[in-house]
Amino acid sequence: MSSWDDDESAAVSAAEAATTDVELLRRAWRNEKAAPEILRFDTPLVSRVREQIQLLEETLDDFADTGVDDLVVSLYQMDLDRTLFLLRSYLRLRLQKIEKYTMHISRSDDLLSRLSPQERRFARSCAEIMEKHLEQSVLSKLPYGYDSVTRQSLSSTEDDMVPEPQLDTFVFCKTKSDVGAFQLDDIGEEVVDLVADDLYVLRYKSIKGLVEGGRIDLI
Amino acid sequence: MAGQSDPHLSMFSPSEVEFVAEDEIVDIVPNIRMDALNMICGDFGPFYPQIPTKVPLWLAVALKKRGKCTIRTPDWMTVDRLTQVLEAERESPREFQPLPFHYIEISKLLFDHARDDISDAYLQVPIVLKNCLLLVVIMTQVRSLIEDIRDVRFHKVETGLETISGRTHAVKLKNLSAMEVNIVRPFMVRTLQAFYKHDSPQMIQQADTTGSKPTPVTDRGPRRDLRRR
Amino acid sequence: MYGRRASQLLKEIDSSEAGQLAPFNSDIFDQVIRECNEHNSQFQSLIRKIVEQNLNIETTRNEDHYGAAIHHLSLLRNKRCLMAYMYNRAEVIQSFRWKVGPVLPHDIQEKLHFSEKEYFKNHSAAIKSYISEMDIDLTVDMVPPKDPYIQVRVLEDIGEVSLGDHSVSLTKNSLHFLRRTDAEQFISQVFYLFLCDILLSLLAIFSGNNTMLNLL
Repeated sequence: MSSWDDDESAAVSAAEAATTDVELLRRAWRNEKAAPEILRFDTPLVSRVREQIQLLEETLDDFADTGVDDLVVSLYQMDLDRTLFLLRSYLRLRLQKIEKYTMHISRSDDLLSRLSPQERRFARSCAEIMEKHLEQSVLSKLPYGYDSVTRQSLSSTEDDMVPEPQLDTFVFCKTKSDVGAFQLDDIGEEVVDLVADDLYVLRYKSIKGLVEGGRIDLI
Repeated sequence: MAGQSDPHLSMFSPSEVEFVAEDEIVDIVPNIRMDALNMICGDFGPFYPQIPTKVPLWLAVALKKRGKCTIRTPDWMTVDRLTQVLEAERESPREFQPLPFHYIEISKLLFDHARDDISDAYLQVPIVLKNCLLLVVIMTQVRSLIEDIRDVRFHKVETGLETISGRTHAVKLKNLSAMEVNIVRPFMVRTLQAFYKHDSPQMIQQADTTGSKPTPVTDRGPRRDLRRR
Repeated sequence: MYGRRASQLLKEIDSSEAGQLAPFNSDIFDQVIRECNEHNSQFQSLIRKIVEQNLNIETTRNEDHYGAAIHHLSLLRNKRCLMAYMYNRAEVIQSFRWKVGPVLPHDIQEKLHFSEKEYFKNHSAAIKSYISEMDIDLTVDMVPPKDPYIQVRVLEDIGEVSLGDHSVSLTKNSLHFLRRTDAEQFISQVFYLFLCDILLSLLAIFSGNNTMLNLL
């Protein structure tokens, strides 16, 4: 087992592990899964992983021609299967998040900028499709003044009908290294000392910055 | 309809947690000669008979299934160590003993695929002397120790839930494992969320707003304050 | 009581199992839509009454004002319920794309509002175009992969067989690791031949768990 009880070598092996793109993708996948909102798409990482997948697929084809041992082939095949699952699951997860908050995302430039170009197109058409559906099933049958998809009525002063993720929900997170005293609320009443390898349940909103900066992992 | 968070979205399925655990590194002793594997997930080997080496658990299990190695039982998975952990778990009601983040999944995978190796580590006897019955006894012992540890730890989490109040901004669960996190997540999040919602000052304030225009109703949940205990 | 019917729709959503869909409740749905329009006409007539009495609409706080407010709020509540009903159903419907596939079976189709059918079709198309843009199939590999290989022992000579891109010589008593899918294909073929009364061979399939054998 990796030396879980030995801080020094744990740190070394963590640093080693962080160098593989699969490890980075797995982290992105976990964070994405646990975060209530959509996170930034790591275009370079995904394209690097896709290159490696393609390379391995080619290698496996070569293996078939050159008659490499079945055992070796099967092991590489499993490596490929695992990477493909992770990539597919990650992309799928993001699509499902986009589906869920489609109207919210398609209305915010900040959120749209976190998506890949393909996801942006997907988000836009999802929003269109959803709005059309709500329009023809519900809104077109409601009286004038109450038929907006984003506002409850004409007297609403802002969009108050757009489902959005709850950023103050609680998430489980694990610190990678010492963060130090960290303020959880706006007024500084709640401060926690985040040391390496701590496991906390905190409000997502308060640690959002740490997640984005890669200093804390959601689990 | 605004702001409903979906608990299912952030849940990892047990097979997903296991998938992640399969990347944990374990020691194996190969019985074959095989070139280094340069995989997407990392470089492993080269492999020489009887020379221990480190590989991810999924690779260890695959080699084991193909009869190409034995998996070294992790130090923490011996009867002695687990007995110590269990005692310590029972003695300290407010903290969790350090165990690998994936101890439940790792032990399950090893039970499923490397039973004979588990007892080896404990017994330190040559394979020829290994008695099937003894093997089963040790297996059962290790397994029930892990189950007991799990139970004690879950009980602590449950007791911990009772202490959550409106003032709880953070819950520290140092050393809680991945599978445990996954199981307590829905209760924990729901409990914290409920208290947070009731205690939040802005929820309590907005009760008396009957302006000239009819006020739009916002979806912020109940507005009554909870009585402090 | 105002808004009670609409809340029934949400109770329906709440009581159905996660990921399951009840038939579209057009009965209650239409009743709630009618309620909305009634609230609106009541609201309008109360406002008209205030205006006709030459009262200031902004400051007047008589019974007509409060009556209008109640109708307005009831309408909002109904709207929110209707939208939440449709939106929550749409979420289940879009999950079918991942769980069931691009064509819904008849029993699910029957439960959908016409607009929901269209929604599913359009939404599936959006996923399809994302998948083709990315050139990666996202509808497979829904669960983490397990070792796809199983160990087989050949009981009778089968000879050289081609498995996808390579061939294997399946001689009697030889042990092989084959992809489960490849092996399964084989078993059914062997079984077929067996049925044809040509006894050729049998593959013994172990779950790939050697230790199982050791124990037994």
